Amino acid sequence: MFTDDPADIPGRPARPPMTVLVADENTRRARALSDDLRADPSLRVLSIPAGTALIDAVRRYQPDVILVDMGRADRDALDSIRALSQPALERPVALFVDRDDVELMETAFDIGICSYNVLEAPPDDVKPLLRAAIALYTRFQRTRGELTEAQRQLAEQKLIDQAKRLFMKNENTTEDQAYRWFRRRAMQTAQRIAAVAADYLAAHGRDGTP
Amino acid sequence: MTRPLRIGLLRLTDSAPVVIARNHGLFARHDIAAEIVVSPSWSNIADGLAWKMLDAAVIFPPLAIMTALGRRGHPASLRPLCTLSRGGNTLILRGTNPLATPWPAGAQGRQAFDRWRHTMDRRPRLAVVHMYSTHLLILRRFLGMIGVDMDSEIELVVMPPADMIGALADRAIDGGCVGPSWGTEACLRGLGFLVGGSSTVMPSHLEKLLVISDTITDSADRLKAALHDAVFYCRARENRQAIAHDLARPPEEGGLALPARATLATLDETTTPEPVTFVAENVTNPDYEWITQDMSALGWIDKNDRQTLRI
Repeated sequence: MFTDDPADIPGRPARPPMTVLVADENTRRARALSDDLRADPSLRVLSIPAGTALIDAVRRYQPDVILVDMGRADRDALDSIRALSQPALERPVALFVDRDDVELMETAFDIGICSYNVLEAPPDDVKPLLRAAIALYTRFQRTRGELTEAQRQLAEQKLIDQAKRLFMKNENTTEDQAYRWFRRRAMQTAQRIAAVAADYLAAHGRDGTP
Repeated sequence: MTRPLRIGLLRLTDSAPVVIARNHGLFARHDIAAEIVVSPSWSNIADGLAWKMLDAAVIFPPLAIMTALGRRGHPASLRPLCTLSRGGNTLILRGTNPLATPWPAGAQGRQAFDRWRHTMDRRPRLAVVHMYSTHLLILRRFLGMIGVDMDSEIELVVMPPADMIGALADRAIDGGCVGPSWGTEACLRGLGFLVGGSSTVMPSHLEKLLVISDTITDSADRLKAALHDAVFYCRARENRQAIAHDLARPPEEGGLALPARATLATLDETTTPEPVTFVAENVTNPDYEWITQDMSALGWIDKNDRQTLRI
């Protein structure tokens, strides 16, 4: 649970759930974050339907807090939420909530998320929300990093296989001999085998497919 | 220095001095390692400064002032390093201009507005690039000049400058005040017409300045020297083609993916009434005067704030 819900404390009145709007164009990440937050019954978690402007969603749902992906260009509109919803221009109140925890906000920014409060007075328990979002964003970054690494390895292997086939054809060798040649060359030139393979293909043409 | 200085900017013609300084090795010449962070919106610039993700940024004065004051949640220790540009903002409207010219102040301008307004099927929806922008102040003054009340006669929306082209094409907005080269691009594409801009409302007003975080004051003089050289390059008529070409290149090739023809037009006072003028000078109090006056009138800042910032 992210909050110390007063509803659980005898003698204290139940508090209405805090409405959190998750604004992330990465739908997989938005869903994961929403699922994480929904585990807390004191939160009402809403996501923005694809193609809906952030400000329209804020007007429609009137959330207490918004967790927003920093890449969203329509984030600008939050700065003017009060000014736009009222006839007279007023000082906007779209604020970051964690004024007292600079480090937490900097971490959040570092991984690309920020939080807004659209009320006059910030709710007390936003920090755990932000922490949950940070944990999830970090997990996504790591997964993306792992995926990129796996894709890189696959691409390198494809290159090496292609170069080996061309070498075998050109030099009339076995696959094992071809691989040993590339490995030796990589050691001699202090390069990765994939780099040697790429050089070989560039020097001898890319027609290595059987 | 352990890492390059991160300088935030948006895809605009008046970001040119920073782009040129990097592409032409002017930062390197002054022993500055700089990384340009092309940001999707002005909020990213302001937040980047407030939360130390950026060391410096190309920004307009109202947002710099509000960011420094912490009106967006967290005060930032900022100081203006130098001006980068004057003017260049355009006021554009969708549809057909009832006059053959930009709109004059007074009753004639009001009549033009009414005739144009009649062709819209809603209260005109006009966009500015950020609430705390010179664009909003210019739009407000322009509407005042033609007797249109901003609060009741138009609907104000906010969107990043580059998004305005699509929004005009989709009829999501009916016009707005936008920086170079997006207004010119809208006109070239037949999406809108020019009714005024910087030159009609506040000629040669300070538009973009470079602000730096207090954490990089050691590099301030060298950074300023590099930008001084870049502005010198940008001011030379013979370099306009090259600048437009540089800015039109995709970001991965060192550009800002700006529309080439419109960008070239915004550099040339013979092709647009709202050209960008590059200037690298110290920011002076007269530059702030109309801005802080309007910001006070809007209730954004008060006398204490002005004293705090000494403006």
